[in-house]
Amino acid sequence: MDFMIMIAEGFIGMFEAGAEVFMGYMTGIIPLLVTLITAVNAITKMIGEEKINGFIQKITKYAVLRYTLVPFIAVFFFTNPMCYTVGRFLPEKYKPAFYDSAVSFVHPITGLFPHANSAELFVWLGVATGYTAAGGSQAQLGLMFLLTGLIVILMRGLVTERISAYMFKKQGHEKILKEN
Amino acid sequence: MSAYKKVKVSKGRNGWGGPLEFTPTDEKKYVISVTGGGIHPVAEKIAKLSGAEVVDAFKNPVDKNETLAAVIDCGGTARGGTYPKLRIPTINVKVMSPSGPLAKFITDDIFVSGVSVENIELVDEKTPYVELETEKSDYSEPGEEAAAPTADDQPETNSAQNAGFMGLINKIARVAGAFMNILYQAGRDTVDSIIKNIIPFMAFVATLIGIINYTGIGEILANVFVPLANNIGGLIILGVITALPFLSPLLAPGAVIGAIIGTLVGNEIANGNIEMSIALPALFAINAQVGTDFIPVGMALGEAKSETASVGAPAILFSRVVTGPAAVIIAYFMSFML
Repeated sequence: MDFMIMIAEGFIGMFEAGAEVFMGYMTGIIPLLVTLITAVNAITKMIGEEKINGFIQKITKYAVLRYTLVPFIAVFFFTNPMCYTVGRFLPEKYKPAFYDSAVSFVHPITGLFPHANSAELFVWLGVATGYTAAGGSQAQLGLMFLLTGLIVILMRGLVTERISAYMFKKQGHEKILKEN
Repeated sequence: MSAYKKVKVSKGRNGWGGPLEFTPTDEKKYVISVTGGGIHPVAEKIAKLSGAEVVDAFKNPVDKNETLAAVIDCGGTARGGTYPKLRIPTINVKVMSPSGPLAKFITDDIFVSGVSVENIELVDEKTPYVELETEKSDYSEPGEEAAAPTADDQPETNSAQNAGFMGLINKIARVAGAFMNILYQAGRDTVDSIIKNIIPFMAFVATLIGIINYTGIGEILANVFVPLANNIGGLIILGVITALPFLSPLLAPGAVIGAIIGTLVGNEIANGNIEMSIALPALFAINAQVGTDFIPVGMALGEAKSETASVGAPAILFSRVVTGPAAVIIAYFMSFML
């Protein structure tokens, strides 16, 4: 009987450990997410889609902005996955690079703006909760994740732009390269 | 060609939605397989029964106007909603019910999940067509009309109070009302997303961590895992692995793999087995595959031509081989600023 009680305690204990982790998420993470996401949702609604689209169209011709600010605005305001629709403002030849750049930003942005990819938060949260538990500052790591993310997507955009230009040429799609 | 036949696709075990019925036409004759790693048997069978052509959307992207149906294997939410939003009949071979940012587009007349080969049958009817209306989706949000109080206030000009104090109060009240309405709608959207997307994932992760920590699996995992994740060399290797062109589309769906490895790394940082300075490069090492499963869909959302998409997919996959590990190195140097 003692043996069975031990097994039962182990069985329940396993889920008690999980419940504790879950409660930590509910009290530690959810309240912040609720208020932060509500505020950002409201801001995006107030600014409105047309204004953002108009602004994006003005700045896509600069390579540096095309793979930093444009993906940032797209992911911030339209969130994953609708952010990729911004690709329609770009010439065909830049679309692969822009997609690569934008999709690579949907996690770095979640450190400070979790609304942008709320379905996939745990890539960030998994590491960040451990970092906080070890005594680090989540805000600091989130900021660095975002800044590093911007550098990475710029690099990635430029590299993919070169590779896709090479492949357009090789596959005889020179017409696409000339389109503006 | 009149060899086109109508097929019926019903939901599988634990599946959701459907049954869907459709017939290929000369305009819409492609069944696309958006499943990473070749053409899925389900797509193949639909094509065979109906007389449609099956294509691998990763290799040969098809224009959305020529697409009869899309076969996907998305356990996450992004792809699951994209095709229903374009009003393309969507057959998910994984079990999934409407959730995620595009949940409102996932309806049972356009989406069916948990489908396996047995759920596809021929319909013996003489009805040659089924309407595949390409409905324009409605973009307006409920809060938006209230968001823009126009200057055109006709009734007020007739009112004697217009110029006076009451007119001002009236205006303030209206702006405040619109403001409140936006905030309230924002709150509703937030809670909706938290309940549908965030808490379910937390439940899954919390249960997993509970089991790992309590049973001691955590220590075993840590022994295997820590040597790889605790130094920059190991992380670069991890970045190379997750960026491998044939592997990355399989690792990416729903960011689930990234989330699990991220949680393990975080857990070991909390336990003191992995140094805190590793956190930033680790975030990039576990995620070099991000979005590689979604390339054809993402390009379609950006209204790319099919030639562009066919170049884009391999270009991005090759680019990741370089930029995946490079991102880890950049993050490593950036982490000195932490």
